[in-house]
Amino acid sequence: MINRIKIGTGSCGIAAGADEVLAFFQENIKDIDIVEVGCIGHCYAEPLVEVETDTGSYFYSNVQPNIASLQRILNLEEINQLTFPKVRKEKELVKVSRLAGRINPVSLEEYKANHGYKALTKALQVAPADVIDQVKIGGLRGRGGGGFPTGMKWSFLAKHKTGEKVLICNADEGDPGAFMDRSLMESIPHQVMEGMLIAAHATGATQIFIYVRAEYPLAIRNLKIAIEQLQNTKLHVIDGREIVITVKEGAGAFVCGEETAMIHSLEGYRGIPRFRPPFPTDSGYKGHPSLINNVETFANIPVLINEGGEKFAEVGTEKSKGTKLFALAGDLKYSGIVEVPMGITIGEVVYEIGGAEKGSVKAVQIGGPSGGCIPEEHFDTPIDYDSLGKLGAIMGSGGLIVIGKQRCIVETARYFLDFTSRESCGKCTFCRVGNVRLLETLEKITSGNGTEQDLEFLEDMGPKIINGSLCGLGKSAPNPVLSTLRFFRSEYLEHVNEKKCRALECNKLVNVYIDKAICIQCGACLKTCPVNAISDDFIVDNTVCTRCNSCIEVCPKNCISRTAGGYHE
Amino acid sequence: MNKIKIRIDQKEFSGNAGDTILKVAQENRISIPTLCHNDKISPTTSCFVCVVKDVKTGRFLPSCSATITEGMEIESDSTEVFEMRQAALNLLLSEHGGDCEAPCTIACPAHAQVEEYVRAGKNGMTLEALKIIKKRIPLPMSIGRVCPRFCEKDCRRNVIDPGQPVAINEFKRTSADIHFENYLEELPELSAPKVAIIGAGPAGYAAAYYLRLDGIGSEIFERLEKPGGMLRYGIPEYRLPKAIVDKEYAHLEKMGGITMHYNQELGKNLQLDQLKKKYDAVILTIGSWKPGPMYAEGEDLALGGIHWLEMIARNGWTGENPGKTIVVGGGNTAMDCVRTAVRLGSNEVWCYYRRTEKEMPAEAIEIQEAKEEGVQFKFLSAPVKVEKKGHRLAITFQEMKLGEPDASGRRRPVPIEGSEYTVEADTIIAAIGQQTIPPEGAKVNRWKDIDANRKNYHMEDNVFAAGDCVTGPATVVEAVAAGRIAALGVKAYLEGNEYQEPYTINVTRGLWQSLKKEDLVYLTAPVERTREALEFISLYDRKTSFKEVTLSFTVDQLKKEGERCLECSCTDKSTCKLKKHAETYLASPDGILGVKESYNADTRHPAILLDRNKCIKCGTCVKICKEVVNKSLLGFGNRGFETNIITAFGESLPDSCADCGECIENCPTGALGWKIKS
Repeated sequence: MINRIKIGTGSCGIAAGADEVLAFFQENIKDIDIVEVGCIGHCYAEPLVEVETDTGSYFYSNVQPNIASLQRILNLEEINQLTFPKVRKEKELVKVSRLAGRINPVSLEEYKANHGYKALTKALQVAPADVIDQVKIGGLRGRGGGGFPTGMKWSFLAKHKTGEKVLICNADEGDPGAFMDRSLMESIPHQVMEGMLIAAHATGATQIFIYVRAEYPLAIRNLKIAIEQLQNTKLHVIDGREIVITVKEGAGAFVCGEETAMIHSLEGYRGIPRFRPPFPTDSGYKGHPSLINNVETFANIPVLINEGGEKFAEVGTEKSKGTKLFALAGDLKYSGIVEVPMGITIGEVVYEIGGAEKGSVKAVQIGGPSGGCIPEEHFDTPIDYDSLGKLGAIMGSGGLIVIGKQRCIVETARYFLDFTSRESCGKCTFCRVGNVRLLETLEKITSGNGTEQDLEFLEDMGPKIINGSLCGLGKSAPNPVLSTLRFFRSEYLEHVNEKKCRALECNKLVNVYIDKAICIQCGACLKTCPVNAISDDFIVDNTVCTRCNSCIEVCPKNCISRTAGGYHE
Repeated sequence: MNKIKIRIDQKEFSGNAGDTILKVAQENRISIPTLCHNDKISPTTSCFVCVVKDVKTGRFLPSCSATITEGMEIESDSTEVFEMRQAALNLLLSEHGGDCEAPCTIACPAHAQVEEYVRAGKNGMTLEALKIIKKRIPLPMSIGRVCPRFCEKDCRRNVIDPGQPVAINEFKRTSADIHFENYLEELPELSAPKVAIIGAGPAGYAAAYYLRLDGIGSEIFERLEKPGGMLRYGIPEYRLPKAIVDKEYAHLEKMGGITMHYNQELGKNLQLDQLKKKYDAVILTIGSWKPGPMYAEGEDLALGGIHWLEMIARNGWTGENPGKTIVVGGGNTAMDCVRTAVRLGSNEVWCYYRRTEKEMPAEAIEIQEAKEEGVQFKFLSAPVKVEKKGHRLAITFQEMKLGEPDASGRRRPVPIEGSEYTVEADTIIAAIGQQTIPPEGAKVNRWKDIDANRKNYHMEDNVFAAGDCVTGPATVVEAVAAGRIAALGVKAYLEGNEYQEPYTINVTRGLWQSLKKEDLVYLTAPVERTREALEFISLYDRKTSFKEVTLSFTVDQLKKEGERCLECSCTDKSTCKLKKHAETYLASPDGILGVKESYNADTRHPAILLDRNKCIKCGTCVKICKEVVNKSLLGFGNRGFETNIITAFGESLPDSCADCGECIENCPTGALGWKIKS
């Protein structure tokens, strides 16, 4: 007996076509409840439909908006039924994201029915200082990247006894390949709200801002609905104070994820960081003491309060407690969101949870564009703040991008630096100019014009940029370059000395070649080539070819390939 | 209130809570460079030139913003800090566009402040112009006539009027013609040391002149009977009247403390080792007086170019008609020879050169004027043999063709087999360049020129050398530039130091050949006017006498010509903090290379120039306008590398800004400037 059907309509679902599936199902199913839910993390399988029955849930992946697909679901057929990889169940520890994708995000009732706001009630019954103590005992550290102990930060705000105090939820998730916060806000906005309200009680804050990037419309919508529901039910009244909760949409500057830049932006100024101290907990939004925590940090709070600090701290390593959400992307089988206990090794996440094939992975980029590239030989490293730091990476917000052996490491570094140099606010000399100079040097290397002096320049200027920048963006932008240089120097040297890209990715270091022994002269490549670089007798003129790969893609015999060579000067 | 104690460079200081490291440092006279810091506004913390190192944390801190904490230990003059500041300055320079000095000033071998003396001339202030000129060019009447004008070749006016740069050299000539004889510098009293200068040519003159300006007297020993060297005995009267050379050398005597001795030749009646003992320092400025060989059989039958000119000069620019004359060579000396031959009455004068006109090292104007005077040219011919033929001479040439470019970039002449031909002439003159005759006891290099350190022209012991005898034959302006450096070198030597020119940087928009009209930045829209023409004496007079060929510009002509100057240099070049700190920290515009953003200068305001190419994005102007002036007429546009300063709504700054100028006064570079240069 089917009780109800849940369709994942988070952004990842919608991107894969969940909207059409939803419309089709709503039109063709009359007698079963259809509920929109958020994301359960298995983004590779979207559109994803969960069928709740008396005997349990059945999941269907890659659902299509057609009768055949619908029938299979209604009949609970095994085709397209998703069996979660067993290892994933073993290795994951789903606590914070437990309700994500399981409940209707915008139903306060459903959240409450699943123990929602129980933690808030519990917290309100004890003194603010006791709440902060619990957070300290739980050992929770900021999930936005810095890893600053949350309880300590809260106490900095709490120590101000008079005047307005401001809580800011940092939801300006900007790392390419990171989408944990989006998923939490879309799927369980009330859990984030609950965390913030507990913090308001603990710190005495009077006002809450949620700074969300405008590119997250669904998250913004769900948050706004949740706020309205709180106001209607007076849940937003904390210790007699009516907390003003405002969703502020960021205009898309990556640097506004940095706390002082975010405060400037909230105040209506240009989003640029300033020197700290004073720290925001002393002088923040409009000079008021202000506390900034990340979405995931706030989402952790109800879990921590519900189970108590001591229990919370049972999970994880000595200095990194609890679980962490990671957005898995790149060259692996199961992309999506995973929640794992701190201390799990990189290898377990990449190979066992992510399903990447052993031997196919070159490295993993942890911590977003400004994180570091960790090579395969270090995959036994436990994921915690300190171990990652030792390898020149950072925990970051939780982006974890798997880089396969087919990728060029120099190009990878160039890609990330291209992002960070574009996102520099332009204030500090080293970040504004230095990163562009690093980028130009990497471009010189990937185009075959690099020298060993260029590598020396990267190694000399990189640390100077780190030392000479005010905020986290500049302080970490050279990380991908420095960490790849540290672990993959031989690949750089190949580019520089042999003018060779072993991954055959750097366009200026490869030629395109048609194997005429296999070619059937069908002419598909001729027709598709945008620059007429292929002759009538199927020879590529590599002085004309732009390495766009169109011919390789259309060739029915796979006889066209990229080979070493190129047209570097 | 309790004082907070910190240590800077291992010395203890104290300050109040909330004081920045910079404040404490400045109060205690520890110099920390700053660009974006300004006491009038809240910190911008942008340039990172003021970084210091916090020893305990290992962090680098912007001292303008980081406040002191008890027990803090700061490092502000370590190598690491130096390198951080240098890197910040190199990065700023790598995105900095504009010109520190004008290209004319850079091109001038003596680095005379060209734009400044042209401006003075434009304003009719010819005495002021002369004073500026004489800071680097002590022989302005001569150089104002004979200089090959390095400055004009790089003049940006060429972008607007191709081939018609500002007639810069005329500013020297006219200003000096008017004031040279009456103007005497303020001179310090003579000090004890005495310097011997060997050779009274331009390099020797400059050495004596600049030594005297520093209060050091000298004795000049000259081989010939009158002073001037090549000015008197090499350059013909029609280009440089000797009465002018007399006036210029009279000035040395007027200065006092400089004594001339004539007919004194090194190795004959003068010995270097004795001079070394007798004087505190010796400067060799003996020139290059040996004619270069033609490498042709029987070449002794030909006259050496400079020897021939010297002979005519000694004879008061008179002499026998040389008859049919063939001059071999393509340089300025060759042109001097052919034109002198014309003036001595020859009605058939030829110049033979082994390459083509395009490769001739002579100035184009000299070739042009020689042609006007009837000189004929034969190119692609190299001499192989000179022989007697009755009363006359016969010279055999071999025809050449141009091959691959050689080291100088000019195409190498290649002989054509069997192409020899012979011509007859009454006089054959070889003007194939000159060589130095190194005196006994001088260090020489592989070109047989005197080997001296080019930074201070020190040869060895107390002997210095400058001018042609060090560089090989060059120009008068190069000789005076070297003479001046030698004087500075001697001065430092006498004080027990080694002179080195101070490190300076110069950002440039590039040579005019690489620029378009839109790339030029003007303070005021340029006047549309072609170059003032020099007035020539009649062609008859030119061909029959040694009268000076051209007349000096009038002051009115100078004023008109001066208006053609685009005033390329930076409005802020003397006060620019970026330049100053870059020079202190040995940063360079070429230290780190990369793309630069390029903006059109905003010249809409009648009095204010906003040149974003020079902006270091510190935002001082934005904050000054907002926090001090309370106007907010400036703001930031774009982000990252493309960050720049924008005016409110992109409009021109309002006229009222002309009465304020706070942003200009506080801009650390020349990005904001007044449109008037003083």
